[in-house]
Amino acid sequence: MSDTLQAQLKSLAGLAVILACWTVYAVYLSPTQGWTFYLQLTVNGVILGSVYALIALGYTMVYGILKLLNFAHGDVFMVGAFIAFGVLTLLGGAYNPAIPAGAGGVLIVLCMFAVAMMGSGILGVTIERFAYRPLRNAPRIAPLISALGVAFFLENSMLLLFGSGFRTYNGFDLISYNGIHLGGSNGVFIQYLGLMVIISSVALMIVLVALVRWTQLGRAMRAVSFDREASAMMGIDIDRVIAATFFIGSALAGAAGVMFGLLYSQVYHLMGFLAGLKGFTAAVVGGIGSIPGAMLGGLLVGLVESWAQGYLNGNVADLVVFGILIAVMLIRPSGLLGTPELQKV
Amino acid sequence: MKGRPRIGVALAIVVAALVCTAAALASSNSSAAKASVQAAAISCGTTRTIGMAYPATGPATSIGSAQLHWAQYFVKRWNALKANAKRKIAIVQGDTQLGVDTAFAVKVAQSFASNPKILGVVGPAGSQEVVASTSALQGGGIGFVSGSASRVSLTDGVTDGVNRQGYFFRTVPNDANQGPTVANYIRLKIKATRVYIIDDQETYSQGLADSVQANLKARGINVTRDSVSQSTTDFSSLIAKIPGNTNVIYIPWQLSPRAQAFGQQLKAAGKSITLFGSDGLFDPATWTIAGSYDSFFPIDTNAPSIKAPGAPGPSEYFGVPSYAATQVVVTAVTKACADGTATRAEVRKDIAQTNIPAAASVLGFKIRFQKNGELRFGGDGVFQIQPGGTYKRVG
Repeated sequence: MSDTLQAQLKSLAGLAVILACWTVYAVYLSPTQGWTFYLQLTVNGVILGSVYALIALGYTMVYGILKLLNFAHGDVFMVGAFIAFGVLTLLGGAYNPAIPAGAGGVLIVLCMFAVAMMGSGILGVTIERFAYRPLRNAPRIAPLISALGVAFFLENSMLLLFGSGFRTYNGFDLISYNGIHLGGSNGVFIQYLGLMVIISSVALMIVLVALVRWTQLGRAMRAVSFDREASAMMGIDIDRVIAATFFIGSALAGAAGVMFGLLYSQVYHLMGFLAGLKGFTAAVVGGIGSIPGAMLGGLLVGLVESWAQGYLNGNVADLVVFGILIAVMLIRPSGLLGTPELQKV
Repeated sequence: MKGRPRIGVALAIVVAALVCTAAALASSNSSAAKASVQAAAISCGTTRTIGMAYPATGPATSIGSAQLHWAQYFVKRWNALKANAKRKIAIVQGDTQLGVDTAFAVKVAQSFASNPKILGVVGPAGSQEVVASTSALQGGGIGFVSGSASRVSLTDGVTDGVNRQGYFFRTVPNDANQGPTVANYIRLKIKATRVYIIDDQETYSQGLADSVQANLKARGINVTRDSVSQSTTDFSSLIAKIPGNTNVIYIPWQLSPRAQAFGQQLKAAGKSITLFGSDGLFDPATWTIAGSYDSFFPIDTNAPSIKAPGAPGPSEYFGVPSYAATQVVVTAVTKACADGTATRAEVRKDIAQTNIPAAASVLGFKIRFQKNGELRFGGDGVFQIQPGGTYKRVG
């Protein structure tokens, strides 16, 4: 067993112990005791975490290949949400949908996903082509500054185009307010929309993992992330692989934007900032550069935020999330499933 | 070698003296400029200018546009009168982006203060904006009348260390009135026994929440207090905490889209609990959860000005007190301009002496101010959101 794998297993074991202790405290010792409340918060956290995980995947994929922290990623998420809102409006909105019968809402949501993912993907490729590619051989600070510039550019462009008012999806009206009660009417409640978000996220993650593991493009991506120069010498078209990575990562962010809009109903030009920061935190906690790490990190951030809001108070949720980021960085700088970077000496 | 430290010390003294002189000059220049702006007599001409500070963009856009539309409606009616052909009014607008950053309100206040044409200001909308922009507006000697800022401390001259007397006025009752009105309605009309109060961590919200909480607790109602950030979009965990047997959730928030999302998520979580909002949520375009209640400023929906054709519709009733605020400022400007010139100080004095009869008031009572800028008459009302999203006065 390699040292890296051992370290990762150790991290996961440590995490499992912490989660077990937390569960015991929350269920039996906290002022708000009981399994139902704990499980309800956990379900809420998994739904939120699914969105964060999708955002985190984009951060981690780009970092894995370019070693670049793409701070414009949160704003690609925001643009995705706006694109889907445009599609929803074109199709009549939540209260007057163009395809009203039966599964009309689901069809509209599928259209929103398809267009938003495509639009965000193209935006990601465009950003890479014009803001990052010319700086590929520049000092690492240059693309980082460029990324921040792109983030502000996108935010202000959306402000100019659509103003700073809130747009509302009214996702529950579009799909359904109903859901599944686990353990009777006073038990844990999962809305169909929440369930749809979890299933969509998991499906997208499975597709991504399959793509990276079993396709030629995925192999090329892994090769480029391992050694860009050697990959080029082996005949891999680096530019194409990097562009594809940006497309996929940004498309996932677009999907996350749609989910966010459907669940939390509010779309505005600054929504990418905090969500992007949480996605970045998820990527770092999970181990930036690691796809399973981004998924795990996303879920953890979502869960911690949900538990903190439920057991503590709304105003400490972000404090706890970012406190955990600091703690993980201090204890395991490469993240839970990250690989320590080897230095040649 | 020994001479160098002495030269250094001498240089330092010279530089320090220069800096002090420059600072003193700058300070005297700016105070002189300030005094001159305040005292400057402006030739009124045939068109007089007032400023309007309101949220044109940002999360509170809908209430901002309601305020602007009612202010414009007043000015349109004023300018249309033959008697006012030579004393028309023009509005200079400033976007304060309520809910984004109070820095925008400060920038607007600074631009109004430095614009010599502006004689008086309508707004700003939010209490925190009033706090932030007071210094700039008072510095420019401008009187400002808000149609929505309701925090109690704005007029007490003590809490935030600023005395706004003679500068700040409002055409809405303060929260000391709204809190007891809400508490009484919850207790006596809804007959709630368990109430959950959630503030949005802004001082406006916390003040109202404190007031309602204290009132209800004093009368033996079971009250739970919670808090959520104004930027929160996922309320699911907060909702999970709220006991199913709660009768009323009181949300004195400022951003109606957030309240709407909260209501939708509450419904999606399978909880049917009555929501009760505050004046900050009075927005029939966005806050439409049927069956919910909302406390709101006193407005006379039967007033001729409100019923007249061309008036903004019921969905923009939030802006009615801004109509009154515009009426106050325009009346004062016109009075001050009686001799062809006016100073901002004269306008402030005339605002303080406002006396608009009930028949001409959209508030349903005579508009007069107390010394501290509060209305002399009036109290809050309670509205209920109807299935179509319209608001019906119920108390």
